[in-house]
Amino acid sequence: MANVTFPFPFPEHLITLLPEMIVAVLAMVLLLIDVFITKGNKITAYLAILTTLLAAVATWSLQSSEVLVAFYGFFVFDQFAVYSKMLIFIGTALGMILSLEYMKNEVNIGEYYVLMLFAMLGMMLMVSANNFIIMYLGLELMALCVYVLVAYQREVLRSNEAALKYFILGALSSGMLLYGITFLYGVTGSFNFAVMGEALQHTDSNSHAALMLGLVFLIAGLGFKVSMAPFHMWTPDAYEGAPTPVTAFMSVAPKVAGFAILMRIVADLLPAVQHEYEAILTILAVLTIVVGNLAAIAQRNIKRMLAYSTIGHVGFIMMGLIAGTADGFSGILIYLSIYLIMTMGVFAIIILMRREGIQGELLDDFAGLSRVRPGYALAMGLLMFSMAGIPFLGGFWAKYAVFMAAVEAGHLNLVLFALLFSAIGAFYYLRVVKYIYFDEERVAFNFVESKPLQATVVAAAIGVVLIGVYPEPLMALCKQALGGLI
Amino acid sequence: MLETAFFNLFAGLAILSGMGVVLSRNTMHSVMFLILCFFNAAGLFFLLDAEFLGIILILIYVGAVMVLFMFVIMMLEVNVARLREGITQYLPLGGMIAVILLIEFVAAASSGVFADGAMATAAHLGQEVNNTKQIGMVLYTQYLLGFEIAAIILLVALIGSIVLTLRGRKDAKYQNMSAQVKVRREDRVRKVSM
Repeated sequence: MANVTFPFPFPEHLITLLPEMIVAVLAMVLLLIDVFITKGNKITAYLAILTTLLAAVATWSLQSSEVLVAFYGFFVFDQFAVYSKMLIFIGTALGMILSLEYMKNEVNIGEYYVLMLFAMLGMMLMVSANNFIIMYLGLELMALCVYVLVAYQREVLRSNEAALKYFILGALSSGMLLYGITFLYGVTGSFNFAVMGEALQHTDSNSHAALMLGLVFLIAGLGFKVSMAPFHMWTPDAYEGAPTPVTAFMSVAPKVAGFAILMRIVADLLPAVQHEYEAILTILAVLTIVVGNLAAIAQRNIKRMLAYSTIGHVGFIMMGLIAGTADGFSGILIYLSIYLIMTMGVFAIIILMRREGIQGELLDDFAGLSRVRPGYALAMGLLMFSMAGIPFLGGFWAKYAVFMAAVEAGHLNLVLFALLFSAIGAFYYLRVVKYIYFDEERVAFNFVESKPLQATVVAAAIGVVLIGVYPEPLMALCKQALGGLI
Repeated sequence: MLETAFFNLFAGLAILSGMGVVLSRNTMHSVMFLILCFFNAAGLFFLLDAEFLGIILILIYVGAVMVLFMFVIMMLEVNVARLREGITQYLPLGGMIAVILLIEFVAAASSGVFADGAMATAAHLGQEVNNTKQIGMVLYTQYLLGFEIAAIILLVALIGSIVLTLRGRKDAKYQNMSAQVKVRREDRVRKVSM
């Protein structure tokens, strides 16, 4: 326990919290500004995007190679936090950009962007947490905002249904997480990751059972949040029911935050129980890969399909955790970065497909797209190929990075298994391409023009091709981003 | 001596009012008994030198939660007669749970864990310790960041519940302030010749 003196000294390195403070204060200011804005005005949205940008600039300008700790070791600011936060900023900003057109007719739209900012704040705190208390509070802050965002279209029944399911399962998983943390606290007597990791080195066999219980519940609780099987039940419903921009947002940013905190826990807390957590995670990864890739084949709704595809990707990302090496962690960061680009691009196209009377979410709605809009068709094709992991597109290098790390750590069987299922998974990605290029048009196309959406699609398509051809800068960046973690 | 007397007073009243909660026919009376029960539990906390918990119990449970309970009961118009219909149906299960609990309590009480001298006495016994000050010192220094985040979580809960329930009803009659201020005599008063 740090020595608390009174009167309270100004916390050391308070400056490292500047991005969080910017977001918190500006979100509250936006809440007030929004009262005076007339309906249909998008100024709140633009201000929210600007806030994200400001936070990104602040984070970037603060970065240093040192590990800075503030608030008695509760908050840590290192290269790893900076990189994860950058991914979260990009994910949130793109989520807001995708919302501009889609959500413009909703009532109380100002609070939508404020809640997104608060969700982002929660994720920022999560990836900077050095302590279970801050991690849990950040997680709840994020989750609470996302529950409301999922339910935002109140007239849409399935949006409400999705939010309710998500909320109940989310609350249950929070309970599991807390239950696990109490066991770990009981064994180690601390909430601080590093202190706990140190204490775990010297545990005797007496406390082993409690430690294992805590570990299982901890992984189950966090597994819910990043939708590992068998804790994935909420994912397809929540993804399908949520407004599409929210789906895009929640399939990217919370996953980044969840994996960032998992990496921190694995690196700081769990080296002493490496065999045990490897065994647990391997079982979960196998299940996740199977469920994700097989169930996606049966889906006709592309949002549901992408939900299962996310689960599949989560399974692949988990292999980096199982490897537990520096290569594994940088592989996870590479995977998350490329996954972010691909997912945002695909969801931008899905939002563009919404047209008079239909949501544009069924596979049939994509049939014959190539004849009407060859540009969109090409972008969607590229993104699908990239998600399937076809060589020399971004998605290939993502899989390559985690698979190689797992092989080097001696998990050859697991990698072969994952390869097999990623080949099976390629089927449903390529089926979308088949619909776009080889099928006849079934539903008339009349697209809304939206510059921000089109820009997102173009940027994503260029992104996967560029990274696919020339992955070295990203890989180097992700290696460097591990500073402070290992 | 005096402490034991007060303990018996608080504990006895707590048990009696607890029975009152279950047995009274009027739901409103149940809530009142529950409030009395909370006050007595708070008294027990005070006897244990845990004055902060006692204050919190009164402030939060009596001051906020029970008032909410009363609102809900007034709004729901609970029909007591219908609530009592299923009592024979639930009695076996409820009775079983009560018996198991009783056995557990007796077993725990007679196991010697709670015997005199068996329990660790608090180190501060006999000293002047201000719990509230100590909690405040830790909460606003070491745990300040968590405290602040919790405040933001509460704000988000507020925003979320309002966003999800407030609908801009078209048929509601809103006040138009500027129209009210700008109103002139001619708009409201009409001369009629009788």
